[in-house]
Amino acid sequence: MKLILQYIRKHLGIFLLSTFFLTMEAMADLLQPAFMSYIVDEGVKNADVRQILFYGLIMLGIAGAGAFSAVMRNQFASRTSQTIGRELRRDMYHNVQRLSMENIDRLQPASIITRITNDVTQIQEFVNGIMRIMVKAPITCIGAIVLIMFQTPGQAPVMAAIIFVVSLLVWGNMRIGYPRFGTVQKKLDGLNGVTREFLSSVRVVKAFHAENEESDKFQESSQVLAAANISALRAMAIFSPLINLTVNFGIVLLLWLSRNQRSTEIGRLMASVNYMTQVLFSVMMISNALNTAVRAAASAGRIQEVLDEEPAQHMPENPLTPKIQGEIRLEHVSFAYAGAGRESLLDINLHINSGETVGIIGSTGSGKTTLVSLIPRFYDAAEGKVLLDGCDVTQIDTKLLRNAIAVVPQKAMLFSGTIRENLLWGRADASEEEIKAAAEAACADEFIEQSSQGYDTRLGQGGVNLSGGQKQRLSIARALVRNPRVLILDDCTSALDARTEAAVLNGLRRRAGQVTVLLISQRISTVMRADHILCLDNGHVEGCGTHEELMASCGSYQAIYESQIGGGLNG
Amino acid sequence: MAENKEYVPPRNPGGISRPGRGGVVVKPKNMKGTLGRLWQLTRGHRKGLGWIFLLSGLASGASVLSPYVTGKAVTAISGGDALTWILVCLTGLYICDWLIRFLQAFFMASIGQNVIHHIRRALFDQIKTLPLSFFDRHRHGELMSRLTNDVDNISITISSSMTLLLTYAFTIGGVFVMMVTLSPLLTLVAVVGVVLIFTLTKIVTKRTRKLFLERQKVLGSLNGQVEESISGLSVVKAFCREEEMEREFEEKNVRLCRVSIRALIWSGYLMPLMNVINNLCYVAIAVFSGVLYVNGNIGDIGLITSFLLYVRQFTRPFVEIANIYNNFQTAVAGAERVFEILDEEPEPADRKDALSLKAPGGDIEFRHVKFGYRPEKMVLKDISLKIPAGTQTAIVGATGSGKTTIINLLTRFYDVSGGSILLDGHDLRDYRMEDLRSAFGVVLQDTALFAESVRDNIAYGHPEADMEQIRQAARVAGADGFIQRLPQGYDTVLEQGGMELSQGERQLITIARAVLANAPILILDEATSSVDTVTEQKIRRAMLKICEDRTSVIIAHRLSTIRDSDMIILLEKGEIAEQGTHEELMALDGRYALMYQTQTG
Repeated sequence: MKLILQYIRKHLGIFLLSTFFLTMEAMADLLQPAFMSYIVDEGVKNADVRQILFYGLIMLGIAGAGAFSAVMRNQFASRTSQTIGRELRRDMYHNVQRLSMENIDRLQPASIITRITNDVTQIQEFVNGIMRIMVKAPITCIGAIVLIMFQTPGQAPVMAAIIFVVSLLVWGNMRIGYPRFGTVQKKLDGLNGVTREFLSSVRVVKAFHAENEESDKFQESSQVLAAANISALRAMAIFSPLINLTVNFGIVLLLWLSRNQRSTEIGRLMASVNYMTQVLFSVMMISNALNTAVRAAASAGRIQEVLDEEPAQHMPENPLTPKIQGEIRLEHVSFAYAGAGRESLLDINLHINSGETVGIIGSTGSGKTTLVSLIPRFYDAAEGKVLLDGCDVTQIDTKLLRNAIAVVPQKAMLFSGTIRENLLWGRADASEEEIKAAAEAACADEFIEQSSQGYDTRLGQGGVNLSGGQKQRLSIARALVRNPRVLILDDCTSALDARTEAAVLNGLRRRAGQVTVLLISQRISTVMRADHILCLDNGHVEGCGTHEELMASCGSYQAIYESQIGGGLNG
Repeated sequence: MAENKEYVPPRNPGGISRPGRGGVVVKPKNMKGTLGRLWQLTRGHRKGLGWIFLLSGLASGASVLSPYVTGKAVTAISGGDALTWILVCLTGLYICDWLIRFLQAFFMASIGQNVIHHIRRALFDQIKTLPLSFFDRHRHGELMSRLTNDVDNISITISSSMTLLLTYAFTIGGVFVMMVTLSPLLTLVAVVGVVLIFTLTKIVTKRTRKLFLERQKVLGSLNGQVEESISGLSVVKAFCREEEMEREFEEKNVRLCRVSIRALIWSGYLMPLMNVINNLCYVAIAVFSGVLYVNGNIGDIGLITSFLLYVRQFTRPFVEIANIYNNFQTAVAGAERVFEILDEEPEPADRKDALSLKAPGGDIEFRHVKFGYRPEKMVLKDISLKIPAGTQTAIVGATGSGKTTIINLLTRFYDVSGGSILLDGHDLRDYRMEDLRSAFGVVLQDTALFAESVRDNIAYGHPEADMEQIRQAARVAGADGFIQRLPQGYDTVLEQGGMELSQGERQLITIARAVLANAPILILDEATSSVDTVTEQKIRRAMLKICEDRTSVIIAHRLSTIRDSDMIILLEKGEIAEQGTHEELMALDGRYALMYQTQTG
């Protein structure tokens, strides 16, 4: 809630204006029955048509003023709520962009996305709601009560009793009803889980002809959800008609207490009955508003978490700006992912001369990707130093550092836009020739030219309209356009068949000498021809050297070789 | 499957979404037909629904009568007449009103939910019989939203929207009759007000509809950008694109804000305007009735009270009906999407004279098999091959050459487009589907595990298996060791559907599953790149062990795996390019030999 207040404060002027008009609007609604009572008591009773018309005109004026206030309030409320939404989104997005990967891992991308999209919308609606209902309903409610007491002073105790009972009911509804809706949400997640599982394993379900078992599971979840829903809806069925009934009893009591009032104040009595109905509607609205407030508070908490997240990495205060050649050195580097019990890298020492190609091989989870992530500072080493051309990477200007490095990640990630725009990510000022040359080297030129608009073909979100292999080749081309000093290839040819892979690697080799290449792969044939091969296992360096050296000295490397090429099945 | 974490939009508690105010209304294509089918679905609940409708009628009856009685009370007070009986009457009416509302909501809860449950079940039972091609065509998120959101919407149509519409219709009718009885002249004033409200709503919604559609579009594009850039943040960072991304985002953000403000302001005019009209009506009636009373055209003062109360009751439903009708339309459109699935062609049912396949031998033959997922693009072109019982056949080839398609055809996930596949001399389509699928033990590339215990996962499809059989299967697959080391051994529940295990361990469990199935023919689709080669060797050893003495078809990516196969088939672009044993193919010195050399260096 603090968060919401903080953003409202930024627009306090407009917000107050909006509240002012809202109050006017509520007042206009409240004054109508009062003047109606004058019509009755002064005009009708005395058979004075001029009085009737006079008060009628006043009522018209009030109605007009009320409408004017409502229109103004609407302008301000819409503007404020949407602007606050926009600012929240902007601030969250901005903060996320400056977070380190470590933060992102912790918050989880999917969750961040929902927070920026859904939670902000929730807040927006809430703010809009405050300025419509949440201020108006209490004003109307209190105003109506005050006016009833003013019109018919004898009714104060009745009003007090009714208000007490109604608040009790609203409170009861919150205590009993809301938790049930929480349960409904959980059971719904359960049903979604079962469905998702079925959909993603439909082949297995069919292959093992287990359709009926899946059906049973689904039915059970659906049944549980239905039961939860029934219980929640029934709680609602109890409370909301009870609130209605209480206020209606109020009207009866009001009439009963006025039985001796006689004719002089009949208009006031009519007004009071009218106010009673207004109280009823306001209470209903408040009860609904509380529901939104609960949800908005939850959303605000989730948003706050993103806004409060501090980047795990620190940017250097006086960044170094060396001319980067591509000589890499790791000194006693250790690293553990946040929340992981053990180190992913342990005391790694490594030296790569600029222009060398180093292959990195090892089983899944051996730390290959982690190792290369330290160089462009996706993560920072917990211990030891990562040096590029003799400078600690944490001291180098991050932009300069990352501009000198090109990464081709395991999972090829492309963005909506044309193929050319995607390739220009590498370097914004790359020429047409450079783009074509990079595409050619990555064996992507053929399919690009075959697509309907060539380099101007539009890609859907995440490049959905391409095959896995095509995405990987574009991702490689994008890195080549960068013309980097250090090129990191993280097992990025897995979706390519052997022949295409060989062609891509040849294309890369032609550029060798000018760039330092770190080549991660599962396949020994891919890394075999590198200048050095680094064999990792469980975060340790098991061996480092040429293929021949490792074959002679490194047990892990031999095992991998055996498994792929050597003795085959008997090994 | 990369899609198994599809995003499902969250819902409001209570499941009631209100597209009417501000959302975009999706118009149904065939309102009448869909409503007819919806009515069919309520079979078994109609008696309950009848009661609910009756209660709606009674509820509106009570709310129509109470202002009249209130007016009588006011008259009584002003005239000094006896009040007690009138108030008793009024109290009785209010209690009735409460009881009816309570009963209605109470029973609606169970009827509505039972209808939902019923429809959901029918829908799932339909989905599970659909052929794989259906699942390949539809995104998971979309199917899930049909099973939850759309089904909920249907029930809302049947329950709340219908009852509300009904209640309002009764109320409007009842109030109108009461008003005319009380004073035709004043009624005319109220009717003019309603007509004004209607016209205004029309004008405003026409404007806002376009604006809200536009807003939806901008919002979609903004959400898309967020999704893409956050899930690809490491790449954004690697290429130093943070500022560009922020700029792009802010541009969309500002556009969204601008469109939303316009849409909200326009739609926001509606309520104040209606309020004004309401108030105008109120004033007009107050003045008119005052004048009429003074002139002696109205008998008693209570009538004015009743009338003022009626005016509010008369105009409010008109305002609400527009909203409800929009909800109603959205729900019917949702129902159409549900019916679309119910109308899908299920997997072909077994023919009446379908053969049972109790002890399959394992002779497989492809005769001029042609197949394409889409008719214009054939994936397999004229494949003919024989796999004698008890032999091991390996299929190799580049991605997209049609290897996996062969599995899809053998297991009848898809049916051939031309030619035929024979098992023990009969066309696959002649067998009973269940028998046929039991004949195959399948280990698929995607290691689908369920959020159940390891034991249940291995016994998947064979719930009758006892613990000893399960353990034996795990032992054969080489999975027993690591399963024992799990916190609860075989009873460990894979909460995250196996994501807590390594890829290799998941694969071993699926192999154990195939072992337990003890099928005469094994089909193994080798996992591609996600497993390191040492683990892979373990898996491969397990695979080959269970292939002994069985007919087996292996889809291989690494040629070293299948050197000892009885027959190796090299597929290329949907055709058999080379075929023979490893030695024969190497001697041929063709494509296979080239592939083998590239892979082994």
